[in-house]
Amino acid sequence: MKKTALRRNLLENAAVIIILAVALIFFIFPFYWLVSTSFKVYYEQFSYPPTFIPGQAFLTNYRIGLLDLWGIKGITDSSIVASSNTLLVLAIATPTAYSLARFKFKRSESLATWILSCRMLPPIAVAIPLFLLWKMIGWLDTYQALVLTYAAFNLPFAVWMMKGFFEDLPKDMEESAMIDGCSTFTAFVRVALPLTAPALVATALFCFIFSWNEFLFAVVLTRWTVKTLPVVIPGLVYGHSILWGAICAVTLVGVLPEILIALFLQKYLVRGLTLGAIRGA
Amino acid sequence: MRIKEKRIPILFLLPCIVTLLAITIFPLVYSLSISLTNYELGRPIELRFVGLENYWTILFEDSRFLIAIANTFIFVASTITIQFFFGLALALVLNRSFKGRSFIVAVVLLPMMIVPVATGYIWWMLYDVSYGPFNYILEATRLTTHEAPIKWLADPSLSLLGVIVTDCWQYTPFMMLVLLAGLQSIPVEPYEAAQIDGAGRWQTFRDVTLPLLRSAIAVAILIRTIDAFKIFDLVYLMTYGGPGTSSEVASFYTYLNGFRFFKMGYASALSYIILLIVTLFTTIFLRFVRRGER
Repeated sequence: MKKTALRRNLLENAAVIIILAVALIFFIFPFYWLVSTSFKVYYEQFSYPPTFIPGQAFLTNYRIGLLDLWGIKGITDSSIVASSNTLLVLAIATPTAYSLARFKFKRSESLATWILSCRMLPPIAVAIPLFLLWKMIGWLDTYQALVLTYAAFNLPFAVWMMKGFFEDLPKDMEESAMIDGCSTFTAFVRVALPLTAPALVATALFCFIFSWNEFLFAVVLTRWTVKTLPVVIPGLVYGHSILWGAICAVTLVGVLPEILIALFLQKYLVRGLTLGAIRGA
Repeated sequence: MRIKEKRIPILFLLPCIVTLLAITIFPLVYSLSISLTNYELGRPIELRFVGLENYWTILFEDSRFLIAIANTFIFVASTITIQFFFGLALALVLNRSFKGRSFIVAVVLLPMMIVPVATGYIWWMLYDVSYGPFNYILEATRLTTHEAPIKWLADPSLSLLGVIVTDCWQYTPFMMLVLLAGLQSIPVEPYEAAQIDGAGRWQTFRDVTLPLLRSAIAVAILIRTIDAFKIFDLVYLMTYGGPGTSSEVASFYTYLNGFRFFKMGYASALSYIILLIVTLFTTIFLRFVRRGER
């Protein structure tokens, strides 16, 4: 009896160690390859056997990628698009979320569901008509077209996130403010908003990351004037030779803000990724 | 003044509704009307209303579309299955407390934070036939020879698999994270009760953990499936649908029709069929989940 229990424990521990080992190698190795390639001298990028450990920290890749190619442009444009989109989305989404959370009126549930369903749309279904519409008014390859398009995709997310946070907020404070003569609007701005400030920041960062990463619309709607990071990187590939080192350098610089944001977001990660469906641990 | 006060909830809603109507609903209506025409960009053909002809061609005559749909389903089914079981295993392991746990969680979450475009290129490098580490390791361990290397993304029978593995690298962490959050929200009491009743480990897992994890599982699978149906970037970057049409998926085929062949009418019809499939799936899945809850 005891022996079988012991054996079972041993087996279980072995299984745990195997799962962890496989996961660690699977998840770390590609990332390691990205980091190491960004430091490889040109011949090390194309050697056989492949270079597993670069001989020196070859920083020229960073110079080529960021200055000589489009790296800086991509990072600047991604920052412009992502931050203006985030501000716009928050300005529109917070009042809506507040209204849906606080005032129950006819069909408010179905309105919320409708807003959520806009998030489920496959982007390609909207990409074709939006391309034609932006073209018609001469907005192809402009910042405003990309910002507005991303807004439509971030809005449902932001509304649902903020709606959840407002619902978590006890009503008392706003009610007593209203009794003291505050209007609905001042109660919202002066009482509810400051109390949900951390949630607002988390929602903003999620919107920021979405715009920072988005690829399909960026490929379809922009060309030369606007070049966000996800379209700059493929641009480095179709030259005469593939500049792996420079690609990895630009990518790594582009990934850094995301890793920082994610560290900051830890507490809200699950909630944000599931559109508020799971409140997280 | 009082009437104004009453209207504030509606006023708060307006900007959002207007934006969504303008940037998602109006374009969708517009593309529905385009899908009923033979509209092509940059070709001087007479614009003509063709009724349901585009839809008919797609469903009954376009074999390339069928390949794209089959590939999409293979992609969705395999990525969701792998990510779910791998993610669940990881979540169960990481739900225990041991030394170095938080380090491992951070490492596992890393891929999720990388720009998808970068993910595509990282794996492209790894798969590289001549200079990639995968083939080197296979040759060094004598599993393949230098003369007959595995061609990975350039091999029609492996290209889609290559994209699937890459997708799993990027999104297994998401499954793990959501399932881990679900596991951590389960209280200890049911486990204590199961122990008192003398339930074995497997029995406890099946009768206590799984039912209580139900909503987390449903959310994780639903969100991942909807996203997997959209798959575009990895295919565009890693294989461009090829070789041949071996890794062409629905979104990518629609993109080709619209932005490479400029057949806007046909592409709009394609996008509507994709929209229909995704909506149908979501509705059925949600009904299935709700019935299970009752």
